[in-house]
Amino acid sequence: MSALLTSLKLNQFRCFTALRLELGEGISLFVGDNAQGKTSILEAVCVLLRLQSPRASALGETVQFGQREFAVAGDYGDSELRLQFTSSGRRLSVDGETQKRSGDYLRASGLVVWMGNDDLALIRGGGEGRRRYLDFMAGQLFPGYRTALKAYERALRSRNFLLKRDKTPAWPQIDAYTKLLYEHGAVLTARRRELIERLQPYAVEAQCQISGREDEAVALEYRCGSDSSEALHTETGYDLAAVLWERREEELRRRQTVAGPHRDDLLLSLNGMPTAKFASEGQQRTQALALKLAQSRLFLAMKERAPVLLIDDIFGELDPQRRNALMQAWPEESQKLITTTHLDWLDPEWGRAATVYEVRMGKVAKP
Amino acid sequence: MSQVDYPRQVKELILHLKKLPGIGPRGAERIAIWLLQQDGGVAQSFAATVEKARGEVWECGVCGFFSTEQGCPICDGSGRDETVLCVVEQPTDILPLERSGAFRGHYHALRGKISPLDNVGPDDLRIGELMDRLKKGAFEEVILALGADVEGEATSNYLVEVLENEGLKITRLAMGIPVGGGLESADELTLFRAVQGRTALGRGGS
Ligand SMILES: [Zn+2]
Repeated sequence: MSALLTSLKLNQFRCFTALRLELGEGISLFVGDNAQGKTSILEAVCVLLRLQSPRASALGETVQFGQREFAVAGDYGDSELRLQFTSSGRRLSVDGETQKRSGDYLRASGLVVWMGNDDLALIRGGGEGRRRYLDFMAGQLFPGYRTALKAYERALRSRNFLLKRDKTPAWPQIDAYTKLLYEHGAVLTARRRELIERLQPYAVEAQCQISGREDEAVALEYRCGSDSSEALHTETGYDLAAVLWERREEELRRRQTVAGPHRDDLLLSLNGMPTAKFASEGQQRTQALALKLAQSRLFLAMKERAPVLLIDDIFGELDPQRRNALMQAWPEESQKLITTTHLDWLDPEWGRAATVYEVRMGKVAKP
Repeated sequence: MSQVDYPRQVKELILHLKKLPGIGPRGAERIAIWLLQQDGGVAQSFAATVEKARGEVWECGVCGFFSTEQGCPICDGSGRDETVLCVVEQPTDILPLERSGAFRGHYHALRGKISPLDNVGPDDLRIGELMDRLKKGAFEEVILALGADVEGEATSNYLVEVLENEGLKITRLAMGIPVGGGLESADELTLFRAVQGRTALGRGGS
């Protein structure tokens, strides 16, 4: 099944006061100089389809400067999706019908893969970016993951707040949250592990396709960010409540929750060595791209639905070999929205199949 | 020429109405004008009703429900199970449980839930009163019927911890699939708990 986003409407979103776009299948190219609003169009699609932005931690950050609310709407497949953000909260609707639960809205919506020029941070940066990569994927694949993640994060914030607040921490209150971290965290850990296991073969395949070599063995491994005694580790992870009990002294000293899924990580290696330390820059770029490509192939396999690919500003930077490999390997059925500052890289044959939009100062035109 | 606005009295009325829960500035203005335009003492009788209700209804010092001169309909009612106490967040949570007819014991409303991020701690709730009641009463079982959000769960966990050594049976409402709801719409933790708290049917295996 391949559903398409056929229209997009923005109101007071980032630099767009009002924007209406008709979109087609295949490739849409948004061309323009920096800071003209190209990326905001992709961001709006991500917000519309997934209710979250890769560039903002809260939806409110995407409101146009000087305004207090925004709206994003569009037709995806057979559904008309609409998100309104106001100071009193957000309102979701599908086909004009208000949806109280984001889960119901998201069921009518589509899958998204975001590729950006900061993807290299997946390899070189800290664990936070890799956790976000896993969470963004798991949230789209497993119903209930987003709920568990939100509950976990709220419980974690409360627990850390209590650890910091009092000179002598109120342990009975803190432990009331420990149990919640354990319960919701167990969902997160189990799903992340499952996800990595399923992702692995696609990552291996994508690495070979992009590098054009057969001998680059990629390995993905989930690592619990807890160096407690081995006895507390079980097959499915570790008993978080027991780990935190054991490390109470450390929590008292550092005044924060020292273990849990918020400190876990995805370890990436190439030919048995950590990619971040031992691989060449070229190999690192290839692996970052391979991870995103693997994501789209996994979505297609698990959900039997092609994700919308949002590709931000990487085409001008990629060398021709990686660029061609990417265009060979991405799911044919996927709708692709691509931003770029210039079209020098564009093969005329590809160009004929693509729709080009010019983006200038918050306005979009078809040349 | 100065701009014409409502008289001061009208503006004051709007200001008060705006403080009501769920009423915005536009709604407050509509209600105020409506009240002023009614004939036949509608507004006077409305004011008198508010004053009477406020003067003749208060919080029951024992369970937290609404009490009058005739006493508390729950604490002073007869035929209740004196051994079971059901803890809820708000006095308004008592009525749905009563209407269901599933429970005939006593109630205790906490008047909120623990939420450190909102600056609400155990001391801000009626937890001390709860402990006193459990010490003095003939209760054998405490049922925790708090919300299933993070704060409700944390409050339940906290109560389990502080009630641990009171020699009482502590239970919480079973979590499960809503009636009329399919399994596909339930999240994982709900399903997990629904399976944990499953009920036996038939006599197989005994
Ligand atoms: Zn009472």
